[in-house]
Amino acid sequence: MTDALRVENVEGGYEPGLPILRGASLAVAPGEIVALLGPNGAGKSTLVKAAAGLVPVWSGRVVLGGRDITGVPAHRMVHEGLGFVPQTENVFANLSVLENLQLAAALIAKPRRRPLAEMFALFPDLDRQRRLTAGRLSGGQRQMLAVARALVASPAVLMLDEPSAGLSPKLVGVVFERLKAVRDTGVTILLVEQNVKAALAIADRAVVLVEGRERLEGRAADLADDPRMAALYLGAAAEAH
Amino acid sequence: MEQLAVLNYLAFFLVFAGIFAVMALGLNLQWGFTGLFNVGVAGFVAVGAYASALLTGPPDPERVGGLGLPIFAGWLGAMAASGVAALVVGVAALRLREDYLAITTFGIAVVIQLVTLNAEWLTGGPFGIQSIPKPLAGVLGTGFVWNLAYLGLVLAVLGAAWWALERLVASPWGRVLRAIREDELAAASLGKRAAAFRLQSFVIGCMLMGLAGALYAHFVGYIAPEDFLPILTFQVWAMLIVGGSGNNAGAVLGAVLVWAIWSVSGGLIRELLPAAEQARGAALQVVLIGTLIAAILVLRPRGVLGERATVSRHAGDAG
Amino acid sequence: MLQLVADGLVVGSVIALGAVGLTLTYSILRFANFGQGEFMTWGAYLAVSALAFVLAVTGGGVMEPLGPFSFGWQLVVAMLLAAALTAALALAVDWLLFRRLRRGNAITLVIASFGAALALRNLVQFLYGTLPEYYTREIQIAVRLVPRDVLGGLRITPDQMLVIGLTLALMLALQLLLTRTTLGRAMRATAMNPALARVAGVDTDAVIRATWVIGAALAAVAGVFAGIVGQIRPMLGFELLLPLFAAAILGGIGSVRGAVAGGYIVGLAESLAVPLVGAEYRAAVAFLVLIGILMIRPAGLFGERA
Repeated sequence: MTDALRVENVEGGYEPGLPILRGASLAVAPGEIVALLGPNGAGKSTLVKAAAGLVPVWSGRVVLGGRDITGVPAHRMVHEGLGFVPQTENVFANLSVLENLQLAAALIAKPRRRPLAEMFALFPDLDRQRRLTAGRLSGGQRQMLAVARALVASPAVLMLDEPSAGLSPKLVGVVFERLKAVRDTGVTILLVEQNVKAALAIADRAVVLVEGRERLEGRAADLADDPRMAALYLGAAAEAH
Repeated sequence: MEQLAVLNYLAFFLVFAGIFAVMALGLNLQWGFTGLFNVGVAGFVAVGAYASALLTGPPDPERVGGLGLPIFAGWLGAMAASGVAALVVGVAALRLREDYLAITTFGIAVVIQLVTLNAEWLTGGPFGIQSIPKPLAGVLGTGFVWNLAYLGLVLAVLGAAWWALERLVASPWGRVLRAIREDELAAASLGKRAAAFRLQSFVIGCMLMGLAGALYAHFVGYIAPEDFLPILTFQVWAMLIVGGSGNNAGAVLGAVLVWAIWSVSGGLIRELLPAAEQARGAALQVVLIGTLIAAILVLRPRGVLGERATVSRHAGDAG
Repeated sequence: MLQLVADGLVVGSVIALGAVGLTLTYSILRFANFGQGEFMTWGAYLAVSALAFVLAVTGGGVMEPLGPFSFGWQLVVAMLLAAALTAALALAVDWLLFRRLRRGNAITLVIASFGAALALRNLVQFLYGTLPEYYTREIQIAVRLVPRDVLGGLRITPDQMLVIGLTLALMLALQLLLTRTTLGRAMRATAMNPALARVAGVDTDAVIRATWVIGAALAAVAGVFAGIVGQIRPMLGFELLLPLFAAAILGGIGSVRGAVAGGYIVGLAESLAVPLVGAEYRAAVAFLVLIGILMIRPAGLFGERA
């Protein structure tokens, strides 16, 4: 079966000569939730940003459902079927909740456009706040709006950069529960996380990135008790100091 | 005789280049070392020129000033006056986003231009101030020898300014300045003190511009509002950008280069164009210089000499 | 007193139109464009050429005044042509200059705009000379709206009323564009967060082009308005640059409502200050407004962030 998303030997970074990704590879099967883990500075965020077209890819390929999307401009990615929710400032704070979703909907061709009603059904919290300026939403609601904004374009694969950042443990649970519901509507999910425990709890599989390359990969349930996990995190910490 | 005329012109040229170099050094302290964008150079130069003229000139019943003080006192007064103007602008704009300083300095230059044009009791209005004393003119006359002597004086001031700036930039004060410019974290951790450092750098830079204005006034002997138009600001910026900001040698080299280009192109226009077309030719000269600046920004953003290698570039945020 | 208010509203209209373009480019391209004033000058002069062209094409060479106004339909056509040409000029400058500098420091863009402004201003002077131009020599009779014994009375020409009315209509249209259309939302989204806008599918390069077109076209209209109620000179836009910046900052960068309010406040302040400080210091009033707002409320009246 074709992978929903495949990253093959990608090298890349913000500045020439300073690679952050050093031949990173991973594959996500359709319908999976895959957690992308790794110590600080491993290049997890850079990897999803590179896939989303926000960071230059110097070599290697990004393949979405069999189509090579390497080097496609960031604003075309929604049309290719790749959704991305950045870590911080991931909603347009000066637009209302409704405008955030309307903008995303207007930018996508009709056949791919998911009705806003579906979004409001999936995230009832947002329904009650339609007219509110997004900048005034609570942290959890912002995260929901960011996900809903990406879902409007019916992505085949949704990448999220640390959706748990800045949320209370209780809210992390709520947001991740929603992500499961999103997956159940047929969206494949790649999740960058610092919160290993929470991520492994909802993920099917996980990939651990260290220094810009994948070092460990396996079923989430197995990795949760794998001693090599701790070694990779601690090892990186030891090298850093 | 012919040779003397050439030498005299050369002295003349170098005096102006030296005065521009002092302005460029002041701007370099602000922009090159501190990252402050000053669009009001002409205004601060004008303040210095008028201040020195008022302090040292002969009394004039038509306006205030004319205190007849020694020229050196005029220079100190010029630096003080420009410093005060800079303080007013800096306090208002420096704690805000960086381009607000650009807008505010632009504004103060416009206001200074209005004052020079209209406050006849102070500045003599459109006709400006005449008979500004030339130092030692009583002994040396006002010919070639005096020009040469004034060139020596300008070079001495330029050398002193250079030496002081090099010392200043190498001092702990200068290191803090660079840290503020390069590293927002460092700037944030310094908080209010970072603003104080910026303000000091801005005021010192403007004082140098004021001093350059005084040097100009006492060389030419008369000043008028049209000597301090926005084109002056632009010329000094061109000098800094051509030479390479963040580099005192670049600033001085840029001053000589751009002033040479300016003088030669101006001379060509005077030679080649009929009298009726001179004004249009002068406009075209400015267009060409403007295009030169833009081209250098695009093609050679570090200038001819470039920035000294003390500056580290930031990598993007890895994550 | 009333007369000063009316004059302030006319000048304020011109400032408001220019300031709206300035605030848009400022918030979306993220730099203070010192060339905005020159787009006004170019708009005014391009309309002079376009008017000559339209008159030559339609024959006659004379403009029959339209109703109570001092100009005919030919000037309306000329203004639209000038707005289109000024937009093209802005796109050309962006393509040649600003686009190549966008990846670097924002201040580099400010320097570049300063250089471009000087070049554009002197190019006008080179092409058209320094003598003032007019669209029409028709003398207009001012209408007395308020008798002399009420607050000094008020006389206003139909041209001036049209300038105020059209400015308000244009601003309303722009406000609707920004809040009701996809382009407008995309512009606001790009101003807020360009990277997120791209992720959401906004072609930010297209948004930047649209911003130049709107900003430069409004500046051109402002320039033509300035030419209708006054003289057309190479320094027209340069002299309005400080009021433009004062208005945009007063209103809060990025806020169209703010720039309009700021434009009228600066225009009124200038004109009401004339009896106090004299007409020659008019421009200094804008500077005082600017310093005042920076001291008291640097985010501006309608600003979200400083």
